[in-house]
Amino acid sequence: MFFKPKIILILSAVLSVLVISVLGGALGDSFGFGFLGGPMPFISIAAETVFHISSPFSYDLKNSTIMLWIAMIVIIILSWLATRNMKNIPSGLQNLFELIFQFWIDTADEAGGKSARRFLPVVITIFLGVLIFNWLGILPGVGSIGKVETVEEWVHHHSHSGHCADDYKSDQTLAELCVLEEEHNHGFVVFDTSGSINLMPLGRGETTRAPLSAIGGYVPEDILQIKKKIKSGTAPENINEFIQIQKNIHDGKVINLYTKESDGSISPQSYLGKNTGELIPFFRGASTDVNTTLAIAIFSMIAIQFWGFSSLGFKGYGGKFINFSHGPINAFVGILELFGEFAKTISFTFRLFGNMFAGEIVLISMGFLLPLIGMMPFMGLEIFVGMIQALIFSMLTLVFGVMAVTSHAEHEDH
Amino acid sequence: MASEWQPIGAALSMGLGAVGSGLGIGMLANGALQSLGRNPEARGPIQQSMILAIAFTEAIAIYALVVAILILFVL
Repeated sequence: MFFKPKIILILSAVLSVLVISVLGGALGDSFGFGFLGGPMPFISIAAETVFHISSPFSYDLKNSTIMLWIAMIVIIILSWLATRNMKNIPSGLQNLFELIFQFWIDTADEAGGKSARRFLPVVITIFLGVLIFNWLGILPGVGSIGKVETVEEWVHHHSHSGHCADDYKSDQTLAELCVLEEEHNHGFVVFDTSGSINLMPLGRGETTRAPLSAIGGYVPEDILQIKKKIKSGTAPENINEFIQIQKNIHDGKVINLYTKESDGSISPQSYLGKNTGELIPFFRGASTDVNTTLAIAIFSMIAIQFWGFSSLGFKGYGGKFINFSHGPINAFVGILELFGEFAKTISFTFRLFGNMFAGEIVLISMGFLLPLIGMMPFMGLEIFVGMIQALIFSMLTLVFGVMAVTSHAEHEDH
Repeated sequence: MASEWQPIGAALSMGLGAVGSGLGIGMLANGALQSLGRNPEARGPIQQSMILAIAFTEAIAIYALVVAILILFVL
């Protein structure tokens, strides 16, 4: 049965994809293949700015914001489709939504009785929102399609990070060299043109980062010497070459980069015409931005406090935290609970953000190590994790809500 | 700020963080499997609460991961 042509065809196709992906990835790269090797991804914790407007007010449009808007549109369209013509016997999308609602109604009944159903509008909103945020974030193309940022944008984003700020004040040239050293981990080349510092990340995609000293064949000392000569008014004989290098770097092109061999020697490699810079993806999963998760967490905690105050009254709910009538131990426990409310917010934030961001990094690294097939099992895992995290976020909101409306006196009866 | 100890710090933070989380997940699975053996009909609820609890436990490792990423890329 193994000799059926169909089976042999499928087997050979699978095998060849496997071989191609192993050879084309990072493993094959060390044997001289690595033809599928993408650029080493730059992992940025903060969301990247896609679009910047400066007037009438300064606003950076982040890529996670775009994804958030898309997710909102998706949720609105899905809800509209599900409730467009509702039938007594549901089918299709309406059935799915009723399934979700029924699940939450059952869970709420289990957690806090019939009265817990009043938390459901918030809880299901969080569930649907986070679920769609998570699932849209792992779509192919999210985080990988984008533009390469220009030198000006890069300087705009990174010049404020304050490398060697003191040296910068005292000596521009020193500052330049200092930043050269500081940024060498990231492979950035820094040039100083007329007072403003230009920083340039090296070309993406090289497996060995070129040493900084290899830019244009000049070591930093050479550049320093040339700049000193320019400053003092005497033009060195190779000034034109130097100006050309600066111009190329400014245009986003690096010439004559050298790669470092494994034995420490430096061999020339031309990067002429290669675009350099960091990739700014147009889309980034909304829940891989810590601001989104923090916003949902704050929203959830405010809702919980509101439920607590509205059902136990100001004295009843506030007495959980500030309570001096039952001795010093209870007073201390109350203060601990007060801090616990803030800890819950932080925990909410980083649980969702960490899980989704880690998933994104795993997907990126698998695409780097094993192109074509490496992502597939992790995609399945991410779909699962995305649903579980949405479930946990909303389940915890529900449980904390039930805990908030339970008074102390009731608690002691148990 | 960049220091040669940064990778060590990140590796330590992730490694030590993963120890507790791994132990916790192991204990959780232990408990869930034992109760499954005693009461095989309760597979559904046991599995559901096990997955929920595992997600909580895993979150500790995720905090460590966030700290490791912060050390590596931000600090």
